[in-house]
Amino acid sequence: MSDAMPAAAGGEGPVVLSQRGQLKSFAWLSLRNGLLNLITLTLYRFWGKTEVRRRLWATTYLNDEAFEYTGRGVELFVGFLLALVVIALPFLCLVFGAQFLGPLFTLVVILPFYFFLFFIVGLGRFTAFRYLATRSSWRGVRFNIRGSARSFGLAWLGYMLLSAITLGWFWPAAERRLSGRLWGGLSFGDRDFEFRIDEARREKIYGAYTVGWIFGIIGYVVFIVVITGAMAPQLKAGGSPTPTLAEMEVIYAAAFLLALAYSVVFSPFHAAILRSVVSGIGFGDVRFKLRVKWFDMAGLTLSNIFFLTITLGLLMPFVEARTRKFLIGRLETSGGADLNAIGQAQGLPPRFGEGIADAFGIATI
Amino acid sequence: MEARFHDGRTTASRPVKVWVEDEVLVFHADGEQRWPLETVRVEMVDDRVRVARAGDDPARLSIALSDWRDLTEHAVRHHRAVRRRELWLVGALATSAAVIAGVVFVGIPAASGPLARATPPDLERKIGRNLGGQVSLAFPACKGVAGQAALHGLGQRLGKTSGTPFDIRVRAVHAPMVNAFALPGGTIMVTDQLIALAADPAELSAVIAHEAAHVEKRHVMQAVWRSFGFGVLLDAVVGGGTGAGQQAVLLLGSSTNLRYGRASEAEADAAGQDLLTEQGLSSQGMAPFFQRLVNTSESKNAGAVKELISDHPDSQRRAAVSRARAKPGATAFTPTEWVAIKATCKDGYDPLKRVRSLF
Ligand SMILES: [Zn+2]
Repeated sequence: MSDAMPAAAGGEGPVVLSQRGQLKSFAWLSLRNGLLNLITLTLYRFWGKTEVRRRLWATTYLNDEAFEYTGRGVELFVGFLLALVVIALPFLCLVFGAQFLGPLFTLVVILPFYFFLFFIVGLGRFTAFRYLATRSSWRGVRFNIRGSARSFGLAWLGYMLLSAITLGWFWPAAERRLSGRLWGGLSFGDRDFEFRIDEARREKIYGAYTVGWIFGIIGYVVFIVVITGAMAPQLKAGGSPTPTLAEMEVIYAAAFLLALAYSVVFSPFHAAILRSVVSGIGFGDVRFKLRVKWFDMAGLTLSNIFFLTITLGLLMPFVEARTRKFLIGRLETSGGADLNAIGQAQGLPPRFGEGIADAFGIATI
Repeated sequence: MEARFHDGRTTASRPVKVWVEDEVLVFHADGEQRWPLETVRVEMVDDRVRVARAGDDPARLSIALSDWRDLTEHAVRHHRAVRRRELWLVGALATSAAVIAGVVFVGIPAASGPLARATPPDLERKIGRNLGGQVSLAFPACKGVAGQAALHGLGQRLGKTSGTPFDIRVRAVHAPMVNAFALPGGTIMVTDQLIALAADPAELSAVIAHEAAHVEKRHVMQAVWRSFGFGVLLDAVVGGGTGAGQQAVLLLGSSTNLRYGRASEAEADAAGQDLLTEQGLSSQGMAPFFQRLVNTSESKNAGAVKELISDHPDSQRRAAVSRARAKPGATAFTPTEWVAIKATCKDGYDPLKRVRSLF
């Protein structure tokens, strides 16, 4: 009667994550979504995104069974409308009001509002992660996340300020802690994930960050020299006409090259922070390791930029799929779990979409 | 048929035997389960299908795709239902998009004229003062006092003739382009490069009269309303997104904005020439100046700021139209004033230094 499946509960077994299926199908999906976005003034994007996720989840396997994404486009749409009313509208009124009330008002009201926006961005990161978790399930059992969005938002704001004060040097630690909060707060059914900062700290991140930071500054200086160089002749000439098309092209090309250079010089850090965060995650006896080197990361980022640039962003779903395949292919697990005996957690998933995060263009995962 | 059942209470995977009875999926797990085919949701996962009961019930049945096809033709019917629902969704979204596009691309531009005329001049002055502060940061005023005074004098005279409620203040500014523009509330800025390009007082006074006409006809406020509509509504639709599709929609918005702007340009050309004629001044400088623009440079778009030039073929056409309307008259500036105006921006300003100071 039963084939490969062990029938009932039967002790711990290995845990294997894999990404199956063809990337080609995501290229077609990209095309289809692009077309539908075109005829709906991009209003279709919520449903398009949902379909992409549904297929991504359905091609990600835990042992013999694929994950399931149960989110719906209309949830994202409602979340977006909510964000418009709750955040964008007041912001607009403030900015518009500032036109009539003078510069002092701008300082007194707009500046705190920008701080508030940072808090909202953090809040949005958390709610987006929670949305994804509660809409993910495996064998009918849902994921969830503990902790409060508000305290995550405050932590985000605080870490951002600290990073700014330290000229970016606090950021690696901040990113590790923030990711740790998200992943450590995750639960699958009635079992909790944990985040062990001591394990995460074994993967060093500051050496890689130093590389990015120093080369980043150098790249920026070179960029400034190049664009002032490009603009110098006509600025000196005084009476001669506007920046010519050729000069604008030089500036855009320099900006693009700068973006490429940044993705390369920061790829050691991106690889390191991923390795660090992943090795901090635990689920029962299961531990994770991500085997990703900086040049893998640079290759992935550069090729992703290539695909997005030549298609003007159309291939985004394809890029998401290949990124996921890249990461899961390099993910190793150790330790076992009894994947037949995890119970469903009580409680209902949140009603609204991740509109708040969505409105600010943030993507987790 | 063989299937795997996940009851939604735990992750246990139970093998079950499934069959169909009168359009109902039947299997045994904790007693007999009956799932009417009409209500189940089906998702394809590689070579299997995942069957869910209607609603939020987390229970799932996993069946090999080939078995599912043998079991029921429902797979096909379900597929059709999903297709139909999707078509409805896309149809509804496309219709909403068309309505929004109608409002943004036709409704708001049409309403912007009446809206501008209904805007209290006091409000426009306030907007202008605020915007003026920001523009002055980017484009500092030239330091030649006599030249500025001569320009200001012409603006005052034109303002009186037109009967506009706004105080027309003309100012020469440093900017890396050939342009002149009117701000809300009556301030007109003329760039150093434009002053350098103008061959005689008639050309420069024609440009200033054109801008004064923008103020008189309240085109500036109209553009503010239009940009506001485009900016706010389109941004709301695309959600401030940075994707290519979203950027394309915004680009469409700004190009439409520019297109509607051209109607006001033509009106300002004519009204500007009329203002000069009423003053007894020559309106023959407009056509040669446009012709000069065609031959030399280009212009830039600066948001809510009304600009003199939109594009080259347009300048050519405008040159022809204003040539037909041109009437002879007195010179707007005395030779002394003209010399002062030409010298007003030669004040040792170093744009390179300023660009560097921005970084
Ligand atoms: Zn104009």
